[in-house]
Amino acid sequence: MFRNTPVAAQASPLTTLRGWAQRAASSRTLTLLVPVVMGLLLAACGDGNHPRDTLNPAGDGAQVSAWFFWLYMILDTVIFIIVCAAMVVAIMKFSKKKGDDDSLPPQSHGNMKLELIWTVIPTIIVLVLAVITVGGVFQLSAKPAEEQKIVDVEVIGKQWWWEFDYKNERITTANELHVEEGTQVSLHLTSADVIHAFWVPRVSGKRDATPGRTYPLYFKPFEKGEFIGQCAELCGASHARMGLKMFVHPKTGPDSYDNWVKAQQAAARAPTTALEKEGKKVFETKGCKSCHTIKGVAELTQRSRTTGPDLTHVGSRSTIAAVTLENNVENLAKWVKDPQSVKEAALMTNLGLSDKESKAVATYLYSLK
Amino acid sequence: MSAKLLDIESLQAPEPHMHFERPGKTGLVDWLTTVDHKKIGILYLLSGVFYLLCGGLEAILFRIQLAVPDNTFLGGETFNGLVTMHATSMVFLAIMPMTAGFANFLVPLMIGARDVAFPRLNSWSYWTFLGGSLVINASFVFGGAPSAGWFGYAPLTGAQYSGSGVDFWWAGLALLSASSLAASVNFIVTILNLRAPGLTLLRLPVLGWMMLVIQFLLALSFPPITVGLILLGFDRMFGTLFYEVSMGGDPHLWQHLFWLFGHPEVYVLILPAMGIVSEILPVFARRPLFGQTAVIFSGIFIGFVGFGVWAHHMFTSGMGPVADAAFAATTAIIAIPTGVKIFNWLGTLWGGKMTYPTPMLFAVSFIPIFTLGGLSGLMHASPPLDLQQHDSYFVVAHFHYVLVGGALQGLFAGVYFYFPKFTGRMMSDKLGKVHFWTFLAGLNLTFFPQHMLGNNGMPRRIYTYPADAQWDLYNMLGTVGALIMGAATLVFVYNMIVSWRSGEKAGRDPWDACTLEWLTESPPKVQNFDFTPIVLSERPVWDHKYTEGMEIVAPAKGEHFHMPSYSWKPMICSGFVILLVIGLLMNTFMPGNWLWVISAVSGLGVVGSVYAWVSEPV
Repeated sequence: MFRNTPVAAQASPLTTLRGWAQRAASSRTLTLLVPVVMGLLLAACGDGNHPRDTLNPAGDGAQVSAWFFWLYMILDTVIFIIVCAAMVVAIMKFSKKKGDDDSLPPQSHGNMKLELIWTVIPTIIVLVLAVITVGGVFQLSAKPAEEQKIVDVEVIGKQWWWEFDYKNERITTANELHVEEGTQVSLHLTSADVIHAFWVPRVSGKRDATPGRTYPLYFKPFEKGEFIGQCAELCGASHARMGLKMFVHPKTGPDSYDNWVKAQQAAARAPTTALEKEGKKVFETKGCKSCHTIKGVAELTQRSRTTGPDLTHVGSRSTIAAVTLENNVENLAKWVKDPQSVKEAALMTNLGLSDKESKAVATYLYSLK
Repeated sequence: MSAKLLDIESLQAPEPHMHFERPGKTGLVDWLTTVDHKKIGILYLLSGVFYLLCGGLEAILFRIQLAVPDNTFLGGETFNGLVTMHATSMVFLAIMPMTAGFANFLVPLMIGARDVAFPRLNSWSYWTFLGGSLVINASFVFGGAPSAGWFGYAPLTGAQYSGSGVDFWWAGLALLSASSLAASVNFIVTILNLRAPGLTLLRLPVLGWMMLVIQFLLALSFPPITVGLILLGFDRMFGTLFYEVSMGGDPHLWQHLFWLFGHPEVYVLILPAMGIVSEILPVFARRPLFGQTAVIFSGIFIGFVGFGVWAHHMFTSGMGPVADAAFAATTAIIAIPTGVKIFNWLGTLWGGKMTYPTPMLFAVSFIPIFTLGGLSGLMHASPPLDLQQHDSYFVVAHFHYVLVGGALQGLFAGVYFYFPKFTGRMMSDKLGKVHFWTFLAGLNLTFFPQHMLGNNGMPRRIYTYPADAQWDLYNMLGTVGALIMGAATLVFVYNMIVSWRSGEKAGRDPWDACTLEWLTESPPKVQNFDFTPIVLSERPVWDHKYTEGMEIVAPAKGEHFHMPSYSWKPMICSGFVILLVIGLLMNTFMPGNWLWVISAVSGLGVVGSVYAWVSEPV
């Protein structure tokens, strides 16, 4: 197949290196490429403390992914260095120099031995990687054992917010997922309209929320705190405003997961001040309740694509409009008065509330801790 | 070693025998009616460069939006439209037509043929492509650009969620698909049947081989997406329920149909660039391509395996561990032939005597930049890692390294290398070097930091992000880099225009090159060759110059040949096809059912023009 001329005989690595040092100063600018790219590669690794750093895992799913990242990163770096080094040496050694005549370099067509080496070695590497990868795939998709405590949540992606349904605990909340440190989480993802993807980078890889289907995502968070994420599949105009937060509670203490569940299971707080009462009236008479539930006040019997979040404990959330705004009376009023000015194409209807009405209903909603 | 024995310029044309040159028109009419593969190639190339500028402008607009957090330069819908059109333009209207331009101009020359097998079908392909591209871009004027992403996932493309932009998108893509199918059949027949005597398949240049492989990819991968697009069109126009979940339709159906096309398409974009690099490196290293047979077979292998990897785009969709594992394994296999190519290119450099005019700079820088993109691709071939990287900026970085650093750099290399053959003039090397270095800087400045953005959890296609996400620095760098790339591309276009008008004149063989296309004049005559060369090796022109006993010998007497004449029929026929589609489109979003008449009349027009076409004397 090839006309055989051993290429290796053309230059020994040692003479190459000696020549390299001498010529480094006058080397072709093309070789600058390599240090620049290598520097960038190094910069990629040490990136400090980032709120969504996939390489600083806080859950077992993200941990597996990060482990695979470093495995591939090391391998890729080695391969990249080999390729670049070969290229740089070739440029240094085999460029036409000043004063060279026009004679031709050796016209070899290939080398069977080399072809075999650089086919077989990558094949072995790829096979090993494939075996490790398959192990990782099955590890991540393994269904948790039945007997242990599981935080089991149905997640429904909607344009452009998340509904979290704790079926066993009878809690429905939105955009802020609460789970327990060290306890298995089992999410069942679906969608009410288009395809979305659930992604909290520090805790776990992502999973699509597909209409008409339900797919699981299993992970176990091992660090307490607040983790941010957002939809990762293009889902329309406000795709960028479909954020979510995950709160990982400790097992015990006042801030425990069980306490959070109890607080959420409680009935909606009754309004006390005049403004709150006024706000409740706005909620009941101005059309809010045709899309929103407040348990004990107005409950929807049927749900549709345009059904809005359950507001029974909306005051307890840290943000509104899917992590678009901080939750406070002022922002709530802004949101109910003109949703589309806060979030492009938001499906919440602009009810034409007056400033006074929006202030009242915002005050009422914020009181629903 | 041996010095030059002969010069290609010294090859004398034989005494003219009976030959019928194609009767031609002049000026604009000539370009409209031409069936000459060289002119059609130039039309494709110029269209490709035009849409490259459009796609680049779209990118610069949304990069400005992303430069700073909470920016309000563009809204979400506009941003999504620009992102969708950027990808659609770059893939279908820039890189593919540029590739088609090279295929058209070079393949007949490389194989010693006088034209493609079906010259009028070739013209039809071009005009249908142009019509399809105009239909897609017409959406900007009529109701807004498609905004469901370039892979248009159902059900977001449904009538309930997306406006008329998607109608233009699916209809335009269906036209492009028809154009590509016709072209692929044409080129498969051309390469398999019209090779000069002695030009066995293993003597076919690597670029010719890669063009052959991608024609098979096009012929086999466009049918699935065409089916998908027509189902989508039916859903939108006639209320069928192929993707309607509530009625039992399946959104994953679209994903499979799309990626069964979409992944082979990736190789349609990259293999020609690999072919171009494989042509350029030996010329400027002044030695044969190392392991040419291995390079060819790895290209064929990539083409085959490319059909078995599509679902690696769907690892997060919940296919289950068995499918994930299977597609992870097939995808990883692609790394092997790709590696073989890279090592063989390095082997070509090793032991050469290299000089670095602009095409060589682009070809050499292709190696590490493409390698980097390939290595990050290896990462997402692993589902546990892909669950994090999928739909994040890490993937954006990956495919831009492969498509901009790979495909586009390869095409740039090709334009500088073949420009003298296209036009008879050299491109300015000085401006070329300015283009190369600024483009390389912009490319890395834009796309390298996107790896970090992906690792830091930035999803793709978000039109804005809050300051506390800490993504601002890398996004700002990306915007600056995009502007630099834009400026570099303008230098390239300026260079083309100036060089075309007043560049240094090029002879037949300005680079002292290897393959048959350099035997022709620059630019080649209508009939390409004065005589049909007999090919004795994989480097016929090189061996003519440097190897004793391997000269190309002109026969004493010329041969009889007959070139087909110009024709209006292909353009008229594709015009009716395009009108037919426009009629359908107008019916969907404009009131008044009489508009179907447009489609009906143009349907008759298609039949009529095909009849006129086949009965036309050639």
